[in-house]
Amino acid sequence: MRRRGPRAAAPVWIIKTCPRGGAGSNEVRMKINAKDLAAGLVLLAFAVAGLWLNLDHTLGTARRMGPGYMPMLAFGLLLFISLIVLGMALFNGPDPLERWAWRELFLILAAICVFGLILEKAGLIVSLVVTIAISSFADRTHRPLGVLGLAAFLVALCWLVFIYWLDIRIPVWPTYFGP
Amino acid sequence: METLFTNLALGFSVAFSFENLIFALLGAFIGTAIGVLPGIGPVATISLLLPITFGMSPTTAIIMLAGIYYGAQYGGSTTAILLNLPGEVSSVVTVIEGYKMARNGRAGAALCTAALGSFFAGSVATVVVAASGPLLTSVALSFGPADYFSLMFLGLIISAVLAQGSIVKGIGMVVLGVGLGLVGTDVQTGQQRFTFGVPELSDGVGFVAIAMGMFGIAEIILNLERPESRNVLTNKVGSLYLTREEFRRAVPSVLRGTVLGTVLGILPGGGASLSAFGSYMVERKVSKNRHLFGTGAIEGVAGPEAANNAAAQSSFIPLLTLGIPANAVMALMVGALIIQGIQPGPRMVEAQPDLFWGLICSMWVGNLMLLVINLPMIGMWVKLLEVPYRHLYPAIMVFCAIGIYSINNNVFDVYLMVLFGLFGYLCSKLKLEGAPLLIGFVLGPMMEEHLRRAMLLSRGDVMVFIERPISASMLAIAAIALLAMLLPGLRSGKEKAMAEGG
Repeated sequence: MRRRGPRAAAPVWIIKTCPRGGAGSNEVRMKINAKDLAAGLVLLAFAVAGLWLNLDHTLGTARRMGPGYMPMLAFGLLLFISLIVLGMALFNGPDPLERWAWRELFLILAAICVFGLILEKAGLIVSLVVTIAISSFADRTHRPLGVLGLAAFLVALCWLVFIYWLDIRIPVWPTYFGP
Repeated sequence: METLFTNLALGFSVAFSFENLIFALLGAFIGTAIGVLPGIGPVATISLLLPITFGMSPTTAIIMLAGIYYGAQYGGSTTAILLNLPGEVSSVVTVIEGYKMARNGRAGAALCTAALGSFFAGSVATVVVAASGPLLTSVALSFGPADYFSLMFLGLIISAVLAQGSIVKGIGMVVLGVGLGLVGTDVQTGQQRFTFGVPELSDGVGFVAIAMGMFGIAEIILNLERPESRNVLTNKVGSLYLTREEFRRAVPSVLRGTVLGTVLGILPGGGASLSAFGSYMVERKVSKNRHLFGTGAIEGVAGPEAANNAAAQSSFIPLLTLGIPANAVMALMVGALIIQGIQPGPRMVEAQPDLFWGLICSMWVGNLMLLVINLPMIGMWVKLLEVPYRHLYPAIMVFCAIGIYSINNNVFDVYLMVLFGLFGYLCSKLKLEGAPLLIGFVLGPMMEEHLRRAMLLSRGDVMVFIERPISASMLAIAAIALLAMLLPGLRSGKEKAMAEGG
């Protein structure tokens, strides 16, 4: 994730071995799979965290399993698997890490977080417009008028589906300034 | 035989009730729409619409959700043929021959083959579901806890083996899913596990939040970072009628695709896309006109399209008879049923005959509707392709956000969904599959319960899993499946099939 652009290639170590007799050298390439390495680390982190948190739970016996027995089995197995993934990652590459679309990622997730933050105070309609406005920056081909039309359409659609038809308990208008 | 007819009569009376007809139509309609649109698939759509179904009766809800799944198989072919772009993962191989046919001016014929082939395959698979359902159920009722545990274990292994990409990573995601499923209150002791003292987590991690985050939100970001290249190259659909020659060539492929799809759909981890790949490989090897492949051979459309639809139906078999989801869509169905208060499993046929038979009959009705929705109205769906993704993603996002909030009227779920959106994006960047995680998450708590019961009954003796013949054979199959994938020959074969498909 740190590397960017064309430099993102996985590290390839070239170990030169000289066979006995010395007639020429073979190149043995050790290819590291950066994606698998990272994936293995993610799984390993989950396994270690799970096993560590599981220390709080009584294990019980195989016959009478306590709340910690199944988590121990599951996260123990995950630990084992993550180590296999890590081990295999040393040989089955190269598979470099990809660039992240940080801008799109941030805008979309932020838009939804803002929706959660203001929904209960500002009501459905205002929250929808704000959320759509934030998310529209994630696609550079959006035009202001188009976003406005889209917001109007989606507000109408969501009102129809969630308020009129499903009647969910959700404030429609801002309650903050209300009585 | 007689009971089958009375059951089917019951099913049709349920399926033909006004409400169920309307929602089957709605499901088929939505399914076709999202099938046509690239960038949103059935998994995202079904998780998106889960909150909306909570107010319905369970039967109606499942009928609609099922309609979305098999409707998407119809719609996906339209995009594949007209746009040289798969509308769904399951129509990836349809692109190869279908688009060539469209370039040859036979787009209408390709669409017609896809729709008729799908209808035929769907009808056959529906009959298979109806016939095998009660049979498998009666077998499953004799299962003890140990057998169930082994069956679920087998299901998880096979779903990881057949999933795309690395098997070890697939198994890792399954196990991680099982671990996530354990979060919450322990059923037997009432102890809180992995909740960090957060009261919202005491009922477990929200199933809908995981599904929406990993398949809805993460997909949006992934689609946004790819530049959109969508231009309808074939505006003229042409005649929908097949020539006699084309019809003659398509029939055997449809038959082969139907059989293959029905069988592969039942397997865990199988489902629509695997069947379509499989059928394409078979057609290229055995069809009489295999030398025409690559130039727009109708066999390459007829076989895979029949197969993916057959598989979409038959993957309901393990769900309805054993309560085990065969793929991510079926995991969502389990979630929908559990939220409705129905525990999927062999007792469902007797406890919920309306749901079981109603769903089966509605599948056939839905396939008939899809034929009408797709063929005469094809022009409308082509128009839908002109909707750009920038108008689509805010709608998906907003529906996810309101839907997840409405489940518990709690913003915590909204943030949880965001978290899983981030995790889903991370996973896809590291080629970790989301589907095995979802299946593991659904099966995890059930496995724990069966494991506890089995070990209690055997007084802590692990040998019970090997001594019981059913359990032992399940474990043996799981071991064989794992070992087979370690063989380099088979593995490279699978990788080759996947690579050619993608």
